[in-house]
Formats: sequence, C-alpha cells, structure tokens
Amino acid sequence: MKTVEANETENLTVRKENIITFPLGLLGFEGVKQYVLLANPEEKPFLWLQMLDQSTQGFVVISPSSAAPDYAPDISQQDVEFLGIKGPGDAIVLNIVTLHPNGEATVNLKGPIVINRYTLVGKQVIPANVQSFSLRHPLAPLPVAA
Amino acid sequence: MLVLSRKVNENIVIDGRIVVKVVRTEGNFVKLGIEAPANVPVHRQEIYDEIQKNNQSALSAGRPPTSRLPGKKPARPDSKPGNSSP
Repeated sequence: MKTVEANETENLTVRKENIITFPLGLLGFEGVKQYVLLANPEEKPFLWLQMLDQSTQGFVVISPSSAAPDYAPDISQQDVEFLGIKGPGDAIVLNIVTLHPNGEATVNLKGPIVINRYTLVGKQVIPANVQSFSLRHPLAPLPVAA
Repeated sequence: MLVLSRKVNENIVIDGRIVVKVVRTEGNFVKLGIEAPANVPVHRQEIYDEIQKNNQSALSAGRPPTSRLPGKKPARPDSKPGNSSP
C-alpha cells in the first residue's frame, strides 16, 4: 500500500480503489497519469482529486448533479470507446472547481472529467456540445445553517 | 507542419477519412467545413487552450481546508441544524 502525505500532519493510506488512472493526464498536466479521489463527508458534495506524484497538488471537484442538474454533455464516441464505457451508468462525471480569491467558486462545464467506474480509467473530455456550456459556471452558495 | 495552399471549394483529406473544405474566405477570415466520422472529435483550438488554462488556475497546491469550500463555513453557535445540502 502506498502512503501519501496530504499535509504536514496527515498521512493518508492510499487504497487502490481510490486510484484513478488518466492515460492522457489532464489538459495542461499530461505528465501526471495517476490521481487519488478523496471524500470527506463534511465537504460533500465536494471531492478532492489529488495527484499521486509525491506532491500534494490537486483539484477540488464536484459531481455536476449538484452544480448543474440539467447538465448533459455529449461525450464523443471516441471518448466512450477510449474509456470502455457501455452506458451512462458506467460513468462517473466530475467537474473541476475553481476557488476564487474573493470566496466565490465556479465550475468548468466545458471540460468534464469522465471516469469508468469499473476500471477507474478517466479522461478529461471535450463534449461535442461544448459551446453550450460555461468554463466558469457559478456555484450557488450552498445553504449554510442560518 | 504540412502547409498546403487551397482555393475556396478545394479540400484536404486527412487519414483518408477526414475532409477539410475551404468554404469561404473574406479577408483574414476563413470558413472551413469538416467532414469526419462521428467518433472523431473536432474543436477549435481555443477550447483546448481555455480548458488547460482553467485547469492551471484551478490547481490547488494542497487540499483546501473545509471552511474554504463554498457553503462550508462553520455554523454560528446558535444556528439550527436541518438545512439540507445537495
């Protein structure tokens, strides 16, 4: 089992069922092929996709069902075949969140991350209907206890 | 890079199955038609560049503390529980 330091005080034990392989990396980060997807129940619906490369770098990601319930990216046949996906149920879709310095957050709907839930192989894809989506879709503030 | 000169209505064939047609030109502007099998994605380059830049600005050096995430500020002591989260 590999151990990854998430920060100075926490050692994570990485289990292979959390490891996602991106044969092509992510756009702009083609050299990093392996990530670990972590969830803290207190942070739901946000997840943390961390590079498995000795760094602690990563991306906050979110399932689009939380941020954009009508989101319907049209994944190309080439990407479907690349990922070995047989139907929509095989796919986990996650979108990258940007936390802006002013406290606002936006989510990239143009370049979703699609993962085959059985093989844990993923790719950042550009859907055929990319023009319909925003690169910086605002995340509505989630309800905070008043 | 292979550089080919084409006139309007002339075509280029890539890999024997992707056809790029010069539909119209007007000054610096070229309208291209792309015929490709449905399984071949075709996009303007700017899309790749935009997503790459967005990834770069979204990258976090380390896992953000929970309080940094939208809607996850610690509740006030007199708050009532029960707001549902998505």
